[in-house]
Amino acid sequence: MNKDSLRRYSTVLIVSIILILLAVYVSLTNGTYDLSVRDILETLFRINPTPDKDLVIFEFRLPRIIVAALVGFGLGIAGTVIQGITKNGLADPGILGINSGASLTIVLFIFLFNGKLKGAGLISILSMPLFGLIGGLGSALLIYLFAWKNGRLDTQRLILVGIAISSGLGALSLFISLKMDAADFEMAAVWINGSIWGANWKYIVSIIPWLLVLVPIIISKSFVLDLFQLEEDSVKSLGVSTEKEKGVLLLAAIGIVSACVSVSGNIGFVGLLAPHIAKTLVGIHHNRVIFVSGLVGMLLLIASDFIGKTIFSPVELPVGIVISIIGIPYFVYLLIKSKA
Amino acid sequence: MSILKVKDLESCYENFRVFKDIDLEIEEGKITTIIGPNGCGKSTLLKTMGRIIKPSSGNVYLKNENISKMRTKQIAKSLALLPQNPIAPSELKVEELVSYGRFPHCKKMSKLTNKDREVIDWAINITKISEFRERQIGALSGGQRQKVWLAMALAQETEILLLDEPTTYLDMSHQLEVLKIVEELNREKKCTIVMVLHDINHASRFSHNIVAMKKGEIIATGEPKEIITKHILKNVFNIDARVMIDEEINSPVCFGYDSIDLEGA
Repeated sequence: MNKDSLRRYSTVLIVSIILILLAVYVSLTNGTYDLSVRDILETLFRINPTPDKDLVIFEFRLPRIIVAALVGFGLGIAGTVIQGITKNGLADPGILGINSGASLTIVLFIFLFNGKLKGAGLISILSMPLFGLIGGLGSALLIYLFAWKNGRLDTQRLILVGIAISSGLGALSLFISLKMDAADFEMAAVWINGSIWGANWKYIVSIIPWLLVLVPIIISKSFVLDLFQLEEDSVKSLGVSTEKEKGVLLLAAIGIVSACVSVSGNIGFVGLLAPHIAKTLVGIHHNRVIFVSGLVGMLLLIASDFIGKTIFSPVELPVGIVISIIGIPYFVYLLIKSKA
Repeated sequence: MSILKVKDLESCYENFRVFKDIDLEIEEGKITTIIGPNGCGKSTLLKTMGRIIKPSSGNVYLKNENISKMRTKQIAKSLALLPQNPIAPSELKVEELVSYGRFPHCKKMSKLTNKDREVIDWAINITKISEFRERQIGALSGGQRQKVWLAMALAQETEILLLDEPTTYLDMSHQLEVLKIVEELNREKKCTIVMVLHDINHASRFSHNIVAMKKGEIIATGEPKEIITKHILKNVFNIDARVMIDEEINSPVCFGYDSIDLEGA
């Protein structure tokens, strides 16, 4: 039995990595300026580089693909954590208001430094996730404040409070963005809807440390997440410090989400879809689900970004909107299934 | 000697006080059953003893150590609590759920030691669930599931076991089966057991001591013969009970009862 599930797990890993590579390949080669595999290999390995190919690959396509991959990976994992803590398969970082909290502070950031952002240096881009984190933490604090009951975090309340905070902070972001000048407003609006058009290497540098630190913490807690699937009394009786573990996991998820939101805006549904797909593929054990969910998120985002980029070309659809278009029917499907 | 002791205990849900000034000592190596009408605070008392609920005042002592000062994982090595309606993902395998009971003893859950496996096997055997140990929780009947949960609590290898209505929703033979496992555990492993039961005849038959509660107060404690009496049952449940001694098991049984209000009408 163990052998079977192990084989399944490795198959899923291999297939998803192949699919991701395929998506990367398609996104790299297709677009307004078509490239062949040979062009790409030649450029990547510096065999026969030309400035225009360099520009397309290193400045436009590659950073964007990598940002999509990292954000998808992060959101998939954060979603798994949030679903695990709340024991609610319909929860996602977006529903909990973490996204909108992070968005709010980042919109505020754009607003305060308006106009200066386009030429922003590495420092200000690196500080974006920190701003996002403040917002993410702020909304998490609000959620804790309202969802705390009888000395513990009530997971039912967590979701209800999250939804309320999410729309409240979303409205606030919109309000602030309306006060911006036209250029900043457009940037903020596109960014709020979840877009990675502005991706460059600095964004990648700003998001990687967060993933490097927080993802291993989450993976090390995968067994605790398994235990959390029992009801709370049993978990406590087994000697798990539930509030402490919930706090650590939630903080790690918030950190990841804030970093992702700061580079890509408010992308919903990845955190909802990826864990579900991962669980259907590899079962309920978090030591497997977490990583696979990250891979699924990665694939979803790379593919959606490519679709958004090409389908109405030259007009670009923000990736967040493409994900929502895929996500909403799946969400409805999950609702119907959970009813049955 | 008492292994578990509560002193001046008070517990609240939000602003509602369930009980106050509760003192109780649980005798080591004995089966103690708490009985009482719905809402009298017996489950809350059990949960407070098992540190699931924090008391608003007063203390619980586990082997003379204040549990609020102990680490929860440390407590889990000496005390296991089986809640009333435990829930697990239906895809989880029986064996896996039982192995969760080893959590307090393990450094890393990915590596179960031989000792862990032995204890898991023992728990599975004593609860007689080995024939479906490979099955998923979702595929089991209520009675089977309850035994699996009991096995998980047993895998914790604790001296004290707290059971919150372990027989609710089970048919008569499963009820008896679960209680007989509990009895065997007490006899063979000298395990101290505290449980909440609704069936006073089961309480009478399987316990050494009974604690009768009503409206957040302990009305009486003692051996079954002292507690399962016409007088105390009237006081606690407001019923007119007909009680006799069952010679076969040498403990009182209530063979019929009526509510007192109806009799007056």
